[in-house]
Amino acid sequence: MSAVKSATLVPQSSVQKAQTRDFIEGLEQDSKPYWDMVEIGDELSRELHITPELVILYLDPVEDYNPWYEGWRMNTWHIEGESPFGGAIVPPLLVSHFVLSVQFDHTKPFAIGSIHTFHDSEMLEPIPVGATVRITTRAIDKFEKRGRRYVRHSVEVEDVATGTLYFRETRDILSL
Amino acid sequence: MDLESLRITPETPVGYALQPIKKKAAIQLMGSRVWGRFNPNHWDPAYAASTGLENPIQTGEMSSAYISEMCVNHFGAAMFKNARIVCKYIASTLADEVIVTGGVITEKTPKGKGFRFKADVWAENEAGEKKTVGWVEADIGV
Repeated sequence: MSAVKSATLVPQSSVQKAQTRDFIEGLEQDSKPYWDMVEIGDELSRELHITPELVILYLDPVEDYNPWYEGWRMNTWHIEGESPFGGAIVPPLLVSHFVLSVQFDHTKPFAIGSIHTFHDSEMLEPIPVGATVRITTRAIDKFEKRGRRYVRHSVEVEDVATGTLYFRETRDILSL
Repeated sequence: MDLESLRITPETPVGYALQPIKKKAAIQLMGSRVWGRFNPNHWDPAYAASTGLENPIQTGEMSSAYISEMCVNHFGAAMFKNARIVCKYIASTLADEVIVTGGVITEKTPKGKGFRFKADVWAENEAGEKKTVGWVEADIGV
């Protein structure tokens, strides 16, 4: 990566460059390969309140502006929203994205060198914006394929209040 | 544009092509807090180079989100109930690449009063190099 190319992709002042280096050093401290952090049968679970603002934070970087997802709108702020299911609903793969924050034990340093490689996701019921869900992940396999190491998890996402099963997934992480 | 005009209906034939979504893998979006911020390989050119990458790479889940957007455009409400998306990340999306999604209906199986549709889906760069491949299933008119 040449300095010119880097500066084109991410123009930064010297202050920003220093802040970036500090942030990265913090990420690297005490982290270790994911393969070494997980045993088959490990189960982790966390609750996630899917606020209207969280939905917007998820959607804007992928530039998805479907109005069905809007429980928050600039100037108006909180709104009920509209979708084929009544009020605003959560994008199909939003909860899949937050599985990462469960399967990587958030109480430990983040595992370096991990790459998400595969997901098989089932959207069983629409999730209303504002729901609190419980995301449960279970490590079901560790395997090597063509010299690379993978950890496979099964995932379930249910409504904390009603017990409705919203989402199921199988996903693979490639580890150093 | 009225997205209803894109919707899959029970009459939609096998071979029907989904309309693409096109996005730029902008590094400033790749490094946002709820996406790649936790891993500098997704947004810092110097760190990415130190790990052997030509450029920072987008999280695969961003291409899944692009594919999901395309599918909601076509399958509408059916993507939120008893639907399925399977994606395999087969190559890295590099910062600054333009990604285009695609899809084609491959199966149409009678179910209830309607059909369960299956479509092959993908995300590729403008050179046609596949980054993500997979398939989706959804019930229409069931």
